[in-house]
Amino acid sequence: MNQTPRVLVVDDETAIHRFLTPALMANDYAVLKAVTGAEALKRIATDAPDIVVLDLGLPDIDGKEVIRRVREWSDVPIVVLSARDREAEKIEALDYGADDFVNKPFGVGELMARLRAALRHRMHRRGETPVARVHGVEIDVARRRVLREGEDVKLTPKEFDLLALLTRHAGKVITHKQILSVVWGPAHEHDTQYLRVYVGQLRQKIEADPSSPAIILTESGVGYRLADTED
Amino acid sequence: MGLTDKPRASPEALLALANREGRGRLKIFLGAAPGVGKTYAMLQAARVAAQEGTDVAVGLAETHGRRETELLLEGLRILPRTSVPYRGRMVQEFDLDAALKCRPELILVDEYAHTNAAGSRHPKRWQDIEELLDAGINVWTTLNIQHLESLNDVVQRITRVRVRETVPDANFDKADEIVLVDLPPDELLKRLAEGKVYVQDTAARAVDNFFRPNNLVALRELALRRAAARIDSDLLERMQGGGVEGPWAAGERILVCVGPDETSSMVVRHAKRLADMIGAPFIAVTVEWPSSRFSEKQRHRVTEALQLAESLGADEVKTLVGTDLVDELLRYAKFENVTQIVVGRSRSSWLAELLGRSFPHQLIRAAEDIAIHVVTPVSTERRSVWQGLEWRSLSKKTSLAFLWSAVAVVLAIFVGRVIAAAVPLPNVSMVFLLAVFFSAVQFGIWPAVFASVLSFLGYNFFFIAPFYTLTVARPHELLALFIFLGVAVLSSAVAGRAREQGAAAASRARATRRLFEFARRLSSLAEPQTVADSTVAEVHRDLGLPAVILFPQGDDLVVTAAWPPEDQLGTATMTAARWAFERDEPAGAGTGTLPNVPWYFFPLRASHGRVGVIGIACGGKDGAELDAEERALFETLAELTATALERSQLAREIVVAKSATEAEKVRNTFLASISHDFRTPLASILGSATSLIEYRAKLPDAAKLDLLSQIKDEAEHLDGMVRNLLAMTRVEAGALELRRDWIDVRELLDRIVAFAKRRGAVQGFTVRTEDDLPFAPADQTLLDQAMTNVVGNAVRYGGPDAQIVVEARRVGDDLLISVADDGPGVAPDMLPHIFEKFMRGKDLGMADGGEGAGLGLAIAKGIVEAHGGTISADSHVIDGHGTRVTLRLPLGTGQTL
Repeated sequence: MNQTPRVLVVDDETAIHRFLTPALMANDYAVLKAVTGAEALKRIATDAPDIVVLDLGLPDIDGKEVIRRVREWSDVPIVVLSARDREAEKIEALDYGADDFVNKPFGVGELMARLRAALRHRMHRRGETPVARVHGVEIDVARRRVLREGEDVKLTPKEFDLLALLTRHAGKVITHKQILSVVWGPAHEHDTQYLRVYVGQLRQKIEADPSSPAIILTESGVGYRLADTED
Repeated sequence: MGLTDKPRASPEALLALANREGRGRLKIFLGAAPGVGKTYAMLQAARVAAQEGTDVAVGLAETHGRRETELLLEGLRILPRTSVPYRGRMVQEFDLDAALKCRPELILVDEYAHTNAAGSRHPKRWQDIEELLDAGINVWTTLNIQHLESLNDVVQRITRVRVRETVPDANFDKADEIVLVDLPPDELLKRLAEGKVYVQDTAARAVDNFFRPNNLVALRELALRRAAARIDSDLLERMQGGGVEGPWAAGERILVCVGPDETSSMVVRHAKRLADMIGAPFIAVTVEWPSSRFSEKQRHRVTEALQLAESLGADEVKTLVGTDLVDELLRYAKFENVTQIVVGRSRSSWLAELLGRSFPHQLIRAAEDIAIHVVTPVSTERRSVWQGLEWRSLSKKTSLAFLWSAVAVVLAIFVGRVIAAAVPLPNVSMVFLLAVFFSAVQFGIWPAVFASVLSFLGYNFFFIAPFYTLTVARPHELLALFIFLGVAVLSSAVAGRAREQGAAAASRARATRRLFEFARRLSSLAEPQTVADSTVAEVHRDLGLPAVILFPQGDDLVVTAAWPPEDQLGTATMTAARWAFERDEPAGAGTGTLPNVPWYFFPLRASHGRVGVIGIACGGKDGAELDAEERALFETLAELTATALERSQLAREIVVAKSATEAEKVRNTFLASISHDFRTPLASILGSATSLIEYRAKLPDAAKLDLLSQIKDEAEHLDGMVRNLLAMTRVEAGALELRRDWIDVRELLDRIVAFAKRRGAVQGFTVRTEDDLPFAPADQTLLDQAMTNVVGNAVRYGGPDAQIVVEARRVGDDLLISVADDGPGVAPDMLPHIFEKFMRGKDLGMADGGEGAGLGLAIAKGIVEAHGGTISADSHVIDGHGTRVTLRLPLGTGQTL
């Protein structure tokens, strides 16, 4: 990181800004503020922040709508702040193109980790990583090869597609719908049982302990994420 | 018989089989005459069944003291009979309830056609047996062929004995098995001679020639034929049920027209025999004029004949209403695709017969492509032409009619004189014709006849020479009298008919309109109770008889509405009502169930079942009976009512469901807002605390202090919310305890404003109080809370740029505290609701934040009211915007705490 990343915090609660600002500054972020959806859209357009922290419950425009409009012209990473009981809203936000989410109330450390992952992922997107390494597994997306402790792992084409998708978005939550739509096609968006079967098989093949997975992580009720890769 | 695996089973046949499922099976031991050994045969078969392990009980077996028959009874379970009081002595009858209670697999009940003693549940034993079958008990019974309804008059013709106890053919046809117990006539006669035959039917015994060989042969043939026909139809049914191709009915359909004369029952029986012969269904109808002048007796005959048709298994029994008998009948016949019509020959005079105007004649002339059977009576009851014209007492109205007729004739004399004076008229009698015609059209036949005679006399007296005398010089002068009389009769008949039709049409229109109005009235009623009330009133108004409606309540029926008011019905009446409700069929007077009860009950059928029973008092000692039209009206009213009741019940269910949904929604809103309201301060606390823990090294001191104070503020915020919730619970429970103290209002208001500012309120505040404001007797903590909520509300909804004015002053004995902001204000339709729980100003474009969970103002209201005060809100108080909430608290001057 050659310069101080700038983070835009969008929340209508002053209390949130009050504690997030010093915490972000302590982590070497430059902090921008917005309290409404309209203001957020304006600041993203004019100030071009490196990352956005967005509360879904905004007074004027719905947070999901903000994501939808931003995604029309910007791929700035967006981390959503959401309530635990609004699972559906969260998934929609991810489907609209949010990069990650943090449930309220949250520890600042967790938020910082998510922000780092999102920023890093954005870098990856710019300079494609040919090979990803995570917990002793090497995933070569271009050559369609997976090595575990140096040994070749045999994957079915679908298993590989699934793993490749997660790898390309390493560290980021991919919703069930997104995975199904990319790997199996849009007609299978709701067939989550495929996913459970294939994820189970993949874990058997690549995880050291499939019963407590360290590579393919479950985001309960939302989707899956590949653990942060070791660069 | 495999039903499911065979192809093309006729639906009717399968349906019939399905209907029998769960029903007991009926076996009839059929004999040609008493004494052929039916009971004996039945008991023998029962013994065999008992030995095979069937649970047999003898409900009733008439042994008539015959040894060999009594021996057969030994070893069989015999149910006790019940004693029924009948005409001063006790009669032994079959105990239906006992039989239903002990529920044997098979029960024997002798004498299918037996008539029960009056006061039993059913008038006929076959109805008892019907109930047993419904209860799933198999029944064996015995029957002599002469007791079969459709053969009743045939038997009468053969034996000259009228058999009064009959069984409907429909029941006989429904029997699952018929066993013919046959004994050649010679042997029967031998047994008779040996005294082995007990003839129960006193009428039959009285007539010696019942047991004549010829009769017995004929009866035996009837029995054999009937049994053979049964076998035929059984076969046919099985063929259809099994999907076997077979002979099908030729599409014939018979209609029998029932009239008010004596032959009607005979005509119905004839139709039934014809129907059986060609295997066609039959329909029975009667045609009524709304004003048809049937006597009580004639009405009764029609009803009887229709009931007979029903019991003989008529497909449909209907009363048609129309003005032209022939037209109406043929119209209906065409509608029902009838191929043959059966009518009786009577009801027409020799004159009509001669002119070809009798009913059968007219029918034959008008019918197209329909066969007409005319059944001739055995002995015709000839009515003279005069019989139909009823002498009525000279009521006031009729005497007026005669008076007017006389006036008309006098006028004719006068006019005749004037005309005769002016112009030479060949025949002045024309003028008198007018008078006669007038009387006939206006008043009917008798005043017209009266006018004819008067006219003749007047004409003779004034216009025929010798004048002013009443002499008939030449025979042709008498001619005038006959012409007058002729005109009188013909024109009064025509006018009478027109009047009758007009009246009929009017009464029909009236009836239709009333029904329509009634339906409309019912549709506007929401409550089942009001529907019931207005129905009984309508029934009473339309039919002039007491009416009652019963609704089910718990396990029983309860009188819900009655007119005239009544809340108790007799035990027997209640039994009939329950029967109608449980069995979904009419009961009581005029029906086959409990006909002694002076009420007719009809079930109120809705689409999902019965909603109650409607009853009308009839058939009692007062002799009020419903004719077909009244019954139809009553049943139509019942149907309308049932529909209305169902609708109102559904409406009620919707209301209940709606309020449940509403309550659910309130609860969900509450939970959602509570969880959100708790989450925001918790997020602040957690966020601040984790920042301090993880980055304390990197944070400047000022930031650390701010984070710590944020933790404190938010914790206080949470505390305030918890207090509000607790207060609300206490307000709700009415458990708000006041600890009054003297409160300095100025100090209170300043404190509240300072607190609001500390909580981040950026609005401008002004506090105004009168200098000599007295202390207020109030609960410090609670009033603090109320004011915090009211001010907090102004802060939340006034917007960041609002100016908030808090003011306190004394008005009379009250303290007025108002909090006004110049924010956007509250929508007028929301204003009355802002003190309700969970109301929040969502429309103001605020985030769904705020600590109150929509409880703030509700709590304030609760607290103020607990102090004996009031709280109110006005909107748009400053230049068309802003909101003001005013608390009015009694100062209680001169009062000590």
